[in-house]
Amino acid sequence: MGFFDTILYPIQWVVAWIMYGSHQLFMALGFQDGPGFAWVLSIVALVIVIRILLIPLFFKQIKASRGMQMMQPELQAIQKKYKGKTDPSSREAMGRETMELYRKHGTNPMASCLPILLQSPIFFALFRLLYNLGNIASGTQDPIGPIDQPVAADIENSDLFGAQLSDVFLQTDDWSVRIVILFLIVAMSATTFFTQRQLTMKNMPKAALEGPMANTQKMLLYVLPLIFLISGVNFPVGVLIYWTTTNLWSMGQQFYTIKRMPAPGSEAERLLKEKRAAKAAKKGIVVEEEKAPEPPKPQGQRQQPVRKNRQKKKK
Amino acid sequence: MSSAVLSRGREIARALPVAVLVGAIRVYQAVVSPWTGPTCKYFPSCSQYAVIAIRRHGPLRGTGMALWRILRCNPWSLGGVDDVPPARHEHRGAHTH
Repeated sequence: MGFFDTILYPIQWVVAWIMYGSHQLFMALGFQDGPGFAWVLSIVALVIVIRILLIPLFFKQIKASRGMQMMQPELQAIQKKYKGKTDPSSREAMGRETMELYRKHGTNPMASCLPILLQSPIFFALFRLLYNLGNIASGTQDPIGPIDQPVAADIENSDLFGAQLSDVFLQTDDWSVRIVILFLIVAMSATTFFTQRQLTMKNMPKAALEGPMANTQKMLLYVLPLIFLISGVNFPVGVLIYWTTTNLWSMGQQFYTIKRMPAPGSEAERLLKEKRAAKAAKKGIVVEEEKAPEPPKPQGQRQQPVRKNRQKKKK
Repeated sequence: MSSAVLSRGREIARALPVAVLVGAIRVYQAVVSPWTGPTCKYFPSCSQYAVIAIRRHGPLRGTGMALWRILRCNPWSLGGVDDVPPARHEHRGAHTH
């Protein structure tokens, strides 16, 4: 076993059990034993199990962003203050002030890093597990959890439209298999692209879409699917299925979040308000636009500094 | 062996792990991070915090601080501004911002 497999072994073991368990369930539902479509579905089931386990985190995040509407005026004041300023130091100051504001109101729309980082070892474990299937099936490697020699051979021989789960684009000569893999790679890139575009274009306030950071992000939005297309030819079919399913799930989740609580000041929020207004108009109610309190106007002369021992006299 | 060569060797032994770790984080920031969009609850973001911490406190303590920060960046935390603490004592070859 290599270095990575040793580290990932516990996660590979859990992944193996989830796949084996869901395969058992599919057999109870009438799917055939042995190699077959049930093993493809068990990868989809793996995604569903992981994402269901993460749902409490998702709701926690939604709850944490509830207070966003309240702090809207203050947030807009910060955005106005730094409008059009693109130098690194004012971007930094803007980030700092925004975060301070979130903290002050006890709300934070960000997802947080830990859950996202925790998901990547699962992906790598599945990658290694599929990669090792051939060795387990031929007996040169020890079984992982419930996946012993015959089970590994079953999974290896399961296929999606003729492409086996462990097939890799660059390591197969069969063009009918390659076409299926190509289709999966395109599906994976497309779902990633749409999820990202939905997130950045629709659910970010206009002010956040300016500046060099946003420009790099926009560029990456178009370049990265290309990189994905290129790296996808090294992924086994099972990983491609896993990734595409994960993207589809994220897309659905994001769709729900953006529809229900769009980020203030974003395109999605404007659409939601329009919809609500149209609904109200149908019932004959006129909704008055909520006006944000005007920020204090800048005065012509700045307040003069006062020496400490003279401060009291002024009051 | 002259002492100058020795101290130069020591300098490299200190600087190399820092360069490797910071380089890896920079690659993450350029290639992986854009996929997830803005995620972090804190300012500076976890990866930026890691870069500053490793430069300021060295590869061992800096990595430890970065890991602790990532653990704190969870759905139950409030986030906010969280800067890297200053170095206790300025050691040679440490880059501070």
